[in-house]
Amino acid sequence: MDESGDVLRVRDLYKEHGHHESLVRAVDGIDLDVPTGQMLAVMGPSGCGKSTLLHLLGGLERPTDGEVWLAGRRIDTISERGLARLRRRAVGFVFQAFHLVEELSAAENVELPVLLAGGSPRAARRRAALLLERFGLADRARHLPWQLSGGQRQRVAIARAVANRPHVLLADEPTGNLDTTATLDVLRVFEDLRAAGQTLVIVTHDERVAATADRLISMRDGMFVDDTRLAGSTTGRLDGLIRLED
Amino acid sequence: MGRVLLIFRLVLADVRRHPTQAVILLISITAATAMLGLGGSLHGATQALYQKTRAATAGPDVVAFAPGTGRTAIKTLTSLEHVPGVLTHSGPYREYYTKLTAHGSTGAAVAQVADMTPGPVDRPLVTSGHWIRPGGVVVERGFATALGVHVGDHVTVAGRSLPVVGIAVTAAHAVYPWAPGIGPGGGPSDGGGLIWLNERDTRALESAADTSVTSFIDLKLRDPGTALAWHRNPAVTSAIGDRWVNVRAWQLIAEQDSLMLKGSQPILVIGSWLLAFLAIAGVATLAAGRAARQTRRVGLLKAVGATPGLIAAVLLTEYLTLALLADALGLITARLIQPAIINPSAGLITTATGPTGTTIAVTTVVALGVAALTSLGPVVRALRTETVAALADTAHRPQHRAHLTRLSALLPTPLLLGLRLIARRPGRAVLHACDTAATLTTITGLLMIYAQPAKGYPGSSMANHLRDAQEHHVILAVTAALVALAAINTVTITWTTAQDARPTMAIARTLGATPGQITAGLSAAQLLPTLPGALAGIPLGIILCLPFSTANTTWPPAWSLLGAALAALPATAALTAVPARVAAHRSVAHTLSAEAT
Repeated sequence: MDESGDVLRVRDLYKEHGHHESLVRAVDGIDLDVPTGQMLAVMGPSGCGKSTLLHLLGGLERPTDGEVWLAGRRIDTISERGLARLRRRAVGFVFQAFHLVEELSAAENVELPVLLAGGSPRAARRRAALLLERFGLADRARHLPWQLSGGQRQRVAIARAVANRPHVLLADEPTGNLDTTATLDVLRVFEDLRAAGQTLVIVTHDERVAATADRLISMRDGMFVDDTRLAGSTTGRLDGLIRLED
Repeated sequence: MGRVLLIFRLVLADVRRHPTQAVILLISITAATAMLGLGGSLHGATQALYQKTRAATAGPDVVAFAPGTGRTAIKTLTSLEHVPGVLTHSGPYREYYTKLTAHGSTGAAVAQVADMTPGPVDRPLVTSGHWIRPGGVVVERGFATALGVHVGDHVTVAGRSLPVVGIAVTAAHAVYPWAPGIGPGGGPSDGGGLIWLNERDTRALESAADTSVTSFIDLKLRDPGTALAWHRNPAVTSAIGDRWVNVRAWQLIAEQDSLMLKGSQPILVIGSWLLAFLAIAGVATLAAGRAARQTRRVGLLKAVGATPGLIAAVLLTEYLTLALLADALGLITARLIQPAIINPSAGLITTATGPTGTTIAVTTVVALGVAALTSLGPVVRALRTETVAALADTAHRPQHRAHLTRLSALLPTPLLLGLRLIARRPGRAVLHACDTAATLTTITGLLMIYAQPAKGYPGSSMANHLRDAQEHHVILAVTAALVALAAINTVTITWTTAQDARPTMAIARTLGATPGQITAGLSAAQLLPTLPGALAGIPLGIILCLPFSTANTTWPPAWSLLGAALAALPATAALTAVPARVAAHRSVAHTLSAEAT
C-alpha cells in the first residue's frame, strides 16, 4: 500500500499494438487510483481495452508508456522474475474461461499457488479446504474441472486466485460464461470477499455485476469516459438483485 | 479428381503450416531407412564389387603360388598351363616381399614384377596415371589410399626412391592388406600392399640378401565355377606332384575381401534397428503432439460435411507421403555412403551396387509402418470423436494422477512442474526414456569396441588393424546418427510438451511461477526420464554385445559406462534449454486469450 492507501495506482498509461497503419491504442492515457477494499467494475464494449488494462494492472503485459504501482511498488519497470514473484502474493486473477488446470482436482488447483509461493503441502491443503468450504465447494474438492458446472469452476478459480491472500483480485468477465444462477453464486463469493476487505477490479459486460460494485468506470477506445461512485452499494444491493432474478 | 485435389490441397496446406514437423518426420525416417538400407545391402555387396573388378581387369580364375624362383618352382607352375580346362594364362611372375616407405610411414609390401603390357589374364585397371614404365612404380589403390600416396609422389622401395606413375586395381590379389596371398617360403602372410614394378627396377630387390620371393601364375579356366575344386583335379595334382604349390581360387579372394566387413555388418544391422526405433519414437511424439490440433481439424472437416473416409485419407496421406519420400531419401543416402563401407580399402572398382529389391521392400515397409503405427491411433481417435467434442478439443483430456500430484507437492517448484508435466502425458516420458536407453545402448557398444585391444597374429596384424579401424568408423558413424536423432527427438519432445502444456504453464505464470521456473520445469520433465533411460541403456548395451564377446573380451571400465550414463543428463539439459526457454517466455496474456477463444 502507498501512503494514500491506494493498492493500485496508474499514471498516464498507454498500451499500443502493431505499427504504423495497423497501430491500435488499446489503452490510451489512463490514470487510476484504487483504494484498498474497493470493488471496482470496468464496463465497456468489446475491444475497448478493458482486458488489456487488467493485464497491465496485474503485470501480465507491459505498458508502452506510463506507470503502474501495485501495493506501493512500481511494477512496469521490474523484471519478469520480479513480476512473477509479485503475482504470487499481491495479485489474483480470475478469467472468463476459468483456466483451471484440467488434470488437477478442484482442491489441487487451489493448492497450486500456495505451493508455488513456497508454502508446505500441508499448509496448501489446509488453505484449499478452507476456501472450498467457504465457497460452498467442500463436496467438490476431489472433482476434476470437467466434472464441475460453470459456476463451480469459476468459484474454484476465485478460490485459487485468493489462496495467497492477494492485495488485489483482478477478474476478467468472471460471469461471461455463466448462466443466471451461476452468476449469482459468483456474485455472492465476490460479496463475501469484499466484506472481508478484499480489493476487486472486475472487467465485465454484465450490468448485474457492475451494480454490485462500489465504483463503476466506463471505457471507450482505450480511455475512461465515466467514473461513478455507487454510494451505499456495499450492503443490500446483491440481495435485491437476487430477489429481482427470482 | 476433385476429391484427390481436395486431399492434396489440405495435405499441402498442413505441411506449409507445420514445415518443421514435416522436416523432423523426414529426418527421423530417412536416418532409419538409410541405416537399414546400408545394413541390408552389405550382404554380398563386396562380392558384387569384386565381380565387377574381375570383369574389368580380366581377373584370373585361379592363382597358383610356389615359393622361390627356382627351376622346379617355375616348371611346376608352367606345367599348370597345359592342364585340360585351362584356357589361357599370364606369368609366371615373381613377387618380392619388401617394405615401402611413403610420406615418412613404412608398410609391408609385395612388389610384383609386371610386363610393360599386361598379359591376357589380370590386366590391372589403372584408375589414375598410367601403367608401369622403367623407373616408375604403380601402387595398388587400396595400398595407395592407406599410405596417402598419389601419382607423382615418390616412394622408397628397397632403398631406392621411385616416382609413382600410376594407381591401379586388380582382382588377382585380395584387397589391401591381404595382397601377398601367401607369406615368404609358402608360410602365412603378415599382410601388406601391392606394387607393380618393371623387371629392371626389381634388380635391387633381387640382390638384397634378406628379400624373399614367390612365383605365381594367373590362370583362366573354361569353367570358372569349378575354380574352388580345381586343385583336386587329377590332372592338377599330377602336374604339381609333391612340390609345394598354393592354389587360390577367385572365390577365396572375393571372400577374403569381405572379411573387412565381418564386424561392421552386425553393427550396421543392430544400429539400423535402434535408429528405426528412435524414428518411431520421434514420429510418435510428433503425432501425439499434433493430436489435439488434429482433433480440432477433424471437427472442422466433419462440420463442413467431410466423410470419415475423406478425413482419414487427408490425415494419413500426409504421413504416408512423407514416409515414402523419407524412404527414397534414405535409400539414396545409403547408396551414396555404401562405397565407403563396402569398399573400405578402395581396392575394388568403386561403384555403388545399389539396394536390392528385398532391401527396398524392407525399408519401405519400415517407413510406412513407422508412419502408419504412429499416426493411425490419433487418426482413429479423432474420427471416433463427436464433432462438437472435437471442435471443443475435449477428446485429449489428460488423466488425473493423484499420487504423482501429491508427490510433486513435496518438491521444489521446477521439479513440481516437471513431475506434473510428466503426469499429464506419461507416455511421452516413457518414449524419452526409451530414446535415451537406445542411445546409451549404442554408446555402450562403442565403448565395448574401443576397449578391445588391437588384434594380433594369427592372421595379419596389419589386416586386423585395418579391420579394427573399419569397425571403429562404422560404430562411430552409427553412434553419431543415433545421438543426432535422439537429440532431435529430445528437442521435439520438449517442444511438444511445451505446446501441449501451454495453457497450464501460462496459468502457473499467472499464479507466480517465474519464466526461469517454467524453463527448469520443462527441462526437468525431460531430465527425470533421462536418468532411468540412461541407466537401463548400459545393461542393454552389454546384453547386445554378449553374443559377439569371447573369454578374452575386454570390458570397458565401469566408470566410463557410468560416466556415459551421467553425461546424458547435462546433454539433455543443454538440448532442452532453448525450446524450454522460448516456450517459457511466451506472452501469458496472448496464450490465455488464445485458449479462451
